[in-house]
Amino acid sequence: MHRRRARQARKWPALRAGVAVLTGTVAAVVVPATASADATDDYPIPHRVIVTACTAEQLLAAARDFTPVYYQRYIIDKHNKSPGVQQAAIDNAHYFFSLSPADRRAYSEQMATNFADPMTASWPNWAKIFFNNKGVAAKETDNCANYPPNDASVWD
Amino acid sequence: MRFGKLSALASVMTAAVTLAAPAHADVDTDFANQVHVYGIYGPRDYNAWLAKITCERLGNGVDTNAEKSAVFVSHNLQQGTSTSQTWQFLAAAIDTYCPEQQPVLAAVAGPKRSD
Repeated sequence: MHRRRARQARKWPALRAGVAVLTGTVAAVVVPATASADATDDYPIPHRVIVTACTAEQLLAAARDFTPVYYQRYIIDKHNKSPGVQQAAIDNAHYFFSLSPADRRAYSEQMATNFADPMTASWPNWAKIFFNNKGVAAKETDNCANYPPNDASVWD
Repeated sequence: MRFGKLSALASVMTAAVTLAAPAHADVDTDFANQVHVYGIYGPRDYNAWLAKITCERLGNGVDTNAEKSAVFVSHNLQQGTSTSQTWQFLAAAIDTYCPEQQPVLAAVAGPKRSD
């Protein structure tokens, strides 16, 4: 059976070429889903936040200057949490931005499904300023490089 | 007679309610009216909050002078806002929400220092 098909393929090179093209198409459809950008790369964490080289402090400083009301709401929300939860949010943000883009993507997949995460449970919006709004993320990532990387005062 | 008294009372109360309205306008509305004079529109609460944040930044040292404050304001007003509108917004914000910061504005208006 196998050999017969091979023989047929030899007989009709066009068929072989057709199979090759088809295989290529299948590969093209399958590969991007895992490897490169598509629309879903923006959810639940915006693509710009996944690929940015800025620190959490730089992004916050940009938010403070370019989306001040959104920033202010976040900071008010943060100050309404216990000191332990506030510190945990800062630590989580530091952890997230220490990851590579691939690891951040993996983290986002996990974040979307793990509702038992203690940080999320104690403050569901702990990363709102980074993750929830693509417009805010765009302004943050456009301007963050102009700020010092370790200015902790942006959390206050 | 009794009806006359009642209606007089009613008209006094109506007058009180009508007249009271402008006097009790809140600060944010006053501020919105002020910036409307300069042709700056947009959501009232947003503008008020932006003005309050501008004051807070002057107070806590994020903006150390009026120029920095104006840059901050210009980033966050609608696109197409002119430089003079930006400064008018800043002046109105300071007058309304943090009059103690008026020296910051005066420093810009005064003679240039030689430093």
